[in-house]
Amino acid sequence: MADIYKLIHPVKYFNDYLSRNIRPDGRGFQEQRNIKLNVNSIKAADASSVVKCGNTTVVCGIKLELATPKAEEPDMGFLVTNVELPALCSSKFRPGPPSDFAQVTSTLVSDIIVNSKCIDLKDLCIAHDKLAWVLYCDMVCIDNDGSLVDACVMTLMASLKTLTLPTVTYDAETEEISVDTSVRTKLKVHGLPVASSFALYKHLQSTIVLADPSSYEEEMCGGIGANLILCYNKGFLCGSHKFGCCNLPKECEEMAFKIAKEKTQLVEEVVDVCIKNYELEQNK
Amino acid sequence: MEVENTDLKDFKLRPMKCECNFLSKSDGSAILSQGQTVALVSVNGPLDIKMTSQSIEKATLEVLFTSKVGKPSVADRYKEHVIRQTCESAILGSLYPRTGITVTIQELEDYGGFTVCSINCACLALLNAGVAMRHTFAGVACAVDEQGNIQLDPDAAQLETARATMNFVFDSREKRLITSLTNGSFSEDAYKEALERCRSASQLVFDFYKDIVSKYSYVIG
Amino acid sequence: MKVKVGDVVLPGDLCEEIVAAGEKSKVILGPGLKKEVDGIYVSKAGTLRKRAPNTYWVDNYQKRYIPARGENVIGIVAQKAGDIFRVDVGGSCTASLSYLSFEGATKKNRPKVVIGDVVYAKMLVASKDMEPEIVCVDSHGKKGRLGVLEDGFVFKCSLNLIRKILNPDCPLINSLKNQWPFELAAGMNGRIWIKANTLRETIALGNAILGSEYLSNDEIKSMCTNIAGILAGHIS
Repeated sequence: MADIYKLIHPVKYFNDYLSRNIRPDGRGFQEQRNIKLNVNSIKAADASSVVKCGNTTVVCGIKLELATPKAEEPDMGFLVTNVELPALCSSKFRPGPPSDFAQVTSTLVSDIIVNSKCIDLKDLCIAHDKLAWVLYCDMVCIDNDGSLVDACVMTLMASLKTLTLPTVTYDAETEEISVDTSVRTKLKVHGLPVASSFALYKHLQSTIVLADPSSYEEEMCGGIGANLILCYNKGFLCGSHKFGCCNLPKECEEMAFKIAKEKTQLVEEVVDVCIKNYELEQNK
Repeated sequence: MEVENTDLKDFKLRPMKCECNFLSKSDGSAILSQGQTVALVSVNGPLDIKMTSQSIEKATLEVLFTSKVGKPSVADRYKEHVIRQTCESAILGSLYPRTGITVTIQELEDYGGFTVCSINCACLALLNAGVAMRHTFAGVACAVDEQGNIQLDPDAAQLETARATMNFVFDSREKRLITSLTNGSFSEDAYKEALERCRSASQLVFDFYKDIVSKYSYVIG
Repeated sequence: MKVKVGDVVLPGDLCEEIVAAGEKSKVILGPGLKKEVDGIYVSKAGTLRKRAPNTYWVDNYQKRYIPARGENVIGIVAQKAGDIFRVDVGGSCTASLSYLSFEGATKKNRPKVVIGDVVYAKMLVASKDMEPEIVCVDSHGKKGRLGVLEDGFVFKCSLNLIRKILNPDCPLINSLKNQWPFELAAGMNGRIWIKANTLRETIALGNAILGSEYLSNDEIKSMCTNIAGILAGHIS
């Protein structure tokens, strides 16, 4: 009965829930979904992690390669991020070349990581102007149920925190490269950027901020993806992206900042606990 | 933070020059220069489009962004997405169901603040095309340097030394924030101050739009 | 931004005068104005105008035609499909013209219209949800000035230029009508059809119309005398 009503009067269905201060999936306006995180899931990758935020599932794998640095930046390595949204993650995507939304998400995630300066590309350089690491980070979404950018950034940071670089010796005279995979050093990660997505809905004459929207809520709020994404790293804002749709009044801004800060603390705890457990397992 | 009217003189944006109806075959077009950054936008529509892309309740907006050199890249798709969401919030799409409106943006010169210049130019082109809109929108860019000083409408040299750059787009009815794009990392206070300054400075852009429209309005009546 | 009649307005401006007038009597909102929950807002950029007693609208610059009922338009027949002709009127959709909408047309007596013909027709049905429909007869079944236009020359211009030259205050047609014989049909969809005796006269007329877009009334009068003078010099 409720399903039929949802199909025939989608806006009224949504409005009825919001008037009673609850969302269709039972959460309050500011509640996050449960986060489940696992690291080192893919043995073939140099570092990997899987995150599940509610139903949204994203897998991240990092592969290392060696390359020559660019001539104009001889002491910097490379960090290449890519987000893939295959056809299986949602009925909105078809098989074939990356859709517009996948390209936009890719750019957003890469911008957040670069702006937060959590990875210093100079740490990836082995020999000046001769040899540097390339980190290929691929994020594949298995289930897209909203707040995609949040999940991608979370899984990418968890993988980077568990990444260890093998020692490489480079002989300048003979140009010989020798890689020792047994002796590994951890990659230096400065801080932990956390992205928070919001959907903004115009309910009667006021605007409601919905934290961690599901894909049904994102659709109802008119957007393709979240309307507002805030990203914090070590107390600094490293990204504030708002895309059209509802216009944002001041009170909602304040609330969004507050929720984003709370989420940052929560995610930092989750990632720390996960990595600690993983290290305990390793040392056993 | 409220800013009094007298402070408006302190808000200096780069000089803006515009010519509407620049292209003869488009339904609406505009070329806008802010300082040395130049953008050209052409708007066509409402047009007939394929059945698969038609929406029965509103017009389908398509944005195409072409940069000056190079092949289309992933970054161009992102700019298109941002501009498309901004224009969609302003256009009254429900008046033109099952049609398409195409906005094509061509980068001519980029000496800083190109995203904001192209958004302003898109607004002027939409006004020129006579597409019904809910409100006009104006974009203002600003840069925050290492000391925390905020510089409005930065040019290429100021962008090089900036710690963070922010682009904000406001609507004309209540100066609410429609779109925001940021680069770099900054504190929450810097963000709030920059937002307020840009909000006040957007009035200068709205005055510029009114100026342009008055220049040709008196003869066409 | 709050505006009053006669101001240059931009989308998003609020007009309180109209709301105040609306409380006393019925107000007619023309193109460019939209009624929302909290007031009357402007939706196009131009000048806010009023005609007594209570009709308000915005005069804006526009090239693309949006079909509206009751307007006379110039269309070009694009296709013949069974009982109707598909006519391109410059909007987002082709308009349909039934073959019975001509004077004296019956099922046995079909009108002589071929693809490529220029027709001067009246909009019968035009809404945003439906395909527009045009007719070449009035409600009495008489042709009037509607129907197929023979020979002549069709060109495009902006919609506000059409309204400007059809305005009784505009001196353009009055200045030219005594200079040389010509026929003119103006379609509200931004198309004009002209026909004169020689090629030079046709082109001179076309240039006079296009040139008057950005000129004031006095400048139009002097431009017309100028063109007439040049033309007279060429005809020996």
